[in-house]
Amino acid sequence: MSVSREEVERMAALAQLAVAPDELPELTAQMDRIVGFVARLRALDDLSGEGPQPTGPPETLLRDDVVTPADLARSPAELAPEFIDGFFVVPKLGAMEEP
Amino acid sequence: MSGRLAAAAVQNRLAEADRAGLNATLAWSAAALAAEADRVDALPEPGLLQNLPVAVKDNIVTTGLPTTCGSRILEGYRSPFNATVIDRLRAAGAMIACKTNLDEFAMGSSTEHSAFGRVLHPMDPTRVPGGSSGGSAALVAAGVVPVALGSETGGSVRQPASFCGVIGVKPTYGRVSRYGLVAFGSSLDCVSVFARTVADAGRVLGVIAGPDSRDATTLAASPIVVAHAGVSLAGTTIGVPREYFPGDLDPGVRAACDAALLRMRELGAAIVEVSLPHSSLAVPAYYILAPAEAAANLARFDGARYGVRAPVAGDLRELYRATRGSGFGPEVRRRILVGTYVLSAGYYDAYYARAQTARRRIAGDFAAAFASGVDLLFTPTTPTTAFRAGEKTGDPVAMYLADVFVCPASLAGLPAMSLPIGRSEGLPVGGQLIAPSLAEAKMLSLAAVLEGALDPTAEVRR
Amino acid sequence: MIWETVIGLEVHVQLGTRSKLFCGCSAGFGDPPNTNVCPVCLGLPGALPVPNAMAVRLAIRAALALGCRVHERSIFARKSYFYPDLPKGYQISQFDRPLATGGRLLVDSADRGSVAVSIQRLHLEEDAGKLLHDRIPGKTAIDLNRAGVPLAEIVSGPDLHSPEDARTYLTALKQILVYAEVSDCSMEKGSLRVDGNISVRRAGETALGTKTEIKNLNSFANLERALAAERDRQIEILERGGQVDQVTLLFNAGTGSVRPMRSKEASHDYRYFDDPDLPPLVVGAGLLEETGAELPELPSAKRLRLMSVYGLGAYDAGVLASERPIADYFEAVCRAGADPKGAANWIINERGEYPEPASLAELIALVAAGTVSHQAARKIYPELAGGSSPRAVAERLGLLQVGEADALGPWVDEVIAAHPDEVRRFRAGDSRLLAFLTGQVMKRSRGTANPQGVQAMLARKLEGS
Repeated sequence: MSVSREEVERMAALAQLAVAPDELPELTAQMDRIVGFVARLRALDDLSGEGPQPTGPPETLLRDDVVTPADLARSPAELAPEFIDGFFVVPKLGAMEEP
Repeated sequence: MSGRLAAAAVQNRLAEADRAGLNATLAWSAAALAAEADRVDALPEPGLLQNLPVAVKDNIVTTGLPTTCGSRILEGYRSPFNATVIDRLRAAGAMIACKTNLDEFAMGSSTEHSAFGRVLHPMDPTRVPGGSSGGSAALVAAGVVPVALGSETGGSVRQPASFCGVIGVKPTYGRVSRYGLVAFGSSLDCVSVFARTVADAGRVLGVIAGPDSRDATTLAASPIVVAHAGVSLAGTTIGVPREYFPGDLDPGVRAACDAALLRMRELGAAIVEVSLPHSSLAVPAYYILAPAEAAANLARFDGARYGVRAPVAGDLRELYRATRGSGFGPEVRRRILVGTYVLSAGYYDAYYARAQTARRRIAGDFAAAFASGVDLLFTPTTPTTAFRAGEKTGDPVAMYLADVFVCPASLAGLPAMSLPIGRSEGLPVGGQLIAPSLAEAKMLSLAAVLEGALDPTAEVRR
Repeated sequence: MIWETVIGLEVHVQLGTRSKLFCGCSAGFGDPPNTNVCPVCLGLPGALPVPNAMAVRLAIRAALALGCRVHERSIFARKSYFYPDLPKGYQISQFDRPLATGGRLLVDSADRGSVAVSIQRLHLEEDAGKLLHDRIPGKTAIDLNRAGVPLAEIVSGPDLHSPEDARTYLTALKQILVYAEVSDCSMEKGSLRVDGNISVRRAGETALGTKTEIKNLNSFANLERALAAERDRQIEILERGGQVDQVTLLFNAGTGSVRPMRSKEASHDYRYFDDPDLPPLVVGAGLLEETGAELPELPSAKRLRLMSVYGLGAYDAGVLASERPIADYFEAVCRAGADPKGAANWIINERGEYPEPASLAELIALVAAGTVSHQAARKIYPELAGGSSPRAVAERLGLLQVGEADALGPWVDEVIAAHPDEVRRFRAGDSRLLAFLTGQVMKRSRGTANPQGVQAMLARKLEGS
């Protein structure tokens, strides 16, 4: 089970990570090494015994439906790299797909 | 005015550590320290941790000092809210001393993956202090602060505690609120504590632990009350899992553990061998589950609403890819890619689902061992003493294997700690205690007995 | 060639809570941008979600109203994709363990009678923020007020067979959800959104054809038009031997045509996994019972009851039951003593602000007693706001009908005397002239005479001679 360059490129695209062409060979080799290591789990045939993960509470706590102030020490305007007229501002969508 | 005095003393020590090039801190200032001092001096009544300076790993958000997670993508980021643990520490009269250096986004076992340079081991600058909470461990080991907060996902406090010769305690998952801990592996992350004494670790843990209505994964458990008087190891059964003592275990580590076990026996403990048969699945399972959760947790860092934005002229997709491509370091990038891969269509069953199964088996092993009458498990914390910088960065898997003994308790969500049990060739060796879920108090009180009975600076005889 | 259309609808409704699904920010509509935000819905590092108990309750209520099975344990899952209106880079939704499955909604199809549409699933998820593409030139503006608002996603099976039925289904679904006070279901405000999946197949075939998805439909009418346009487009392709591509489409209301969405390449890989920040959502028997008890009488049950208890016809009962406040008002008016058919007529035909039930009941009684004419009542009705008495208004406006013989007699005699020709023709057999003569009396009385009384008196007097 080895990881191909095409797969690494596809994963990088899914994760919105730019990978320069000259980085791709080494990155592919590293990914292949890591995936090859964790792949020893594939010998585990038996997926039965499905159940919740062993950590944390058995059920989620819930919140009352009350509006509470955010109490932010800094506003969105102060956090944002670009903020105009009350809006966060980013470039045009361009090639980004609508989900 | 003792807050001001304590702050001044810490300030001197922080400055000294900077001069020595320890590189353990990412942010601190005289002004911030003075503000903390004034705040604790103004408290109507002294708290449980009054005037205690606490160093905080830089993946725990604070409104005063910046929070970078050791990453360029958050360089200069100032959180608009404080983590719950910060609020609780301050309410108890503690002072936040500084933010400490870490492997980027807590991903690493040596602190060599920080974007702001590695941390030096306080006893040997050519070696690593461990990671990811290396900065916190180093500051406590160097005596700059008495306690520090770190975080664990796969052993990131116990492992550096072992390398640096200090106490490192990970609570039961869900004991301490994660609200304000920048998420890496959400089902594994635990705010954890470094200290020079078991008592200090217990005090800090007691203050920060407890349910939080802002974190749905916290447990409604009773407070951690560590007994000190009248505790002994007599009548305690210590389990020794054979899988943690492989034939090729470092002889110095083995000798230190053997000596510690002998001491325990002398103090009245019964030592029994147990088996945790699925132990070898832990590191592979961890390196599927943690990256998978991390890939989603780090998707929010895109330069749109906060943090650093790459200066590109193109469309939004270019902005995201450039910001994330250049803002994340190589180890973070690898883990995001692995995490994306193991969750992707066609691979989920092969990797992620199987890792979940492995995790349940590992947790089952521990449960069976404790059910068989064992009070605590004892193992080496790390397979070796602190390795040299650069030794393991060439092969990611070699670095991952540094976590082999600490990672299983993380997967099972159990409380675990490392305490220094001796030296091997001058370097600290850590012994690990693992307790049943919610048994921190028992673990800490028995650890205190052991602490009193061992000399952590004694060179072991092989 | 006879083609069968197969349609399924995916509906998102905003649950009527005060705060968002995973944080305490206001879920209100129309506030200045980025003012209802906090670390959680901004996706700041270190923030964590905690679910809103009322959102869960409303979702359970919706599920029960749709006859679904509510699962004791359901799991929140992360749906990962990058888009600027999604602050965390993933949406918290539900995937393979949704809150509810297996419901049913009966739809009155014009062509097929009663159609049982299956509700495959109902689950909870958080909404995304809003993007504005024209607000700032050359840039995209992001408002995260809506990010984190609670939604219920309701997915029907492919059980609808015409665009009209799809519209009827959506209307019925909206009605039930408004009845149950789960959501205000306003397409204008965006609290009701629908995407349609549609395919065609030759009549008699059991396999489904390739389906396409139409998104972002913004009105009931456009839903119907878009589905019809797409059905026709698919049939046209298949009839000339082509193949339907599985694409996602947008409907252009202006041209009435559908077009593929820009750059829709491979389908998304959402990489679903259980959200580790949220332990399972557990719905105990107690909560289930309590929520079930909160359910009001639903539209179809109310319709049937109005028909049987009040003797109304199907159409009238349907109109009255279309909105709970109207049905409740109808019953209040009946309880105040009005005759049901009279009450139904008034309520169905009048709009605007309804008067106090007792006032309308009294007005209806006055008309029935002949104290005011029907026309006069329509003038009195608008004046009843604020609890005014109909009789007092009638007196004020001079609309009280004269019914006593003493008053009517002189007018009738005058008219008989004034129209000897018509009187003669009436007595000779032309019975239509009764209406004419009645009208003349009405004129002389300036409309205040009770027409039935006039007609009766005329008939008596003219018969006599």
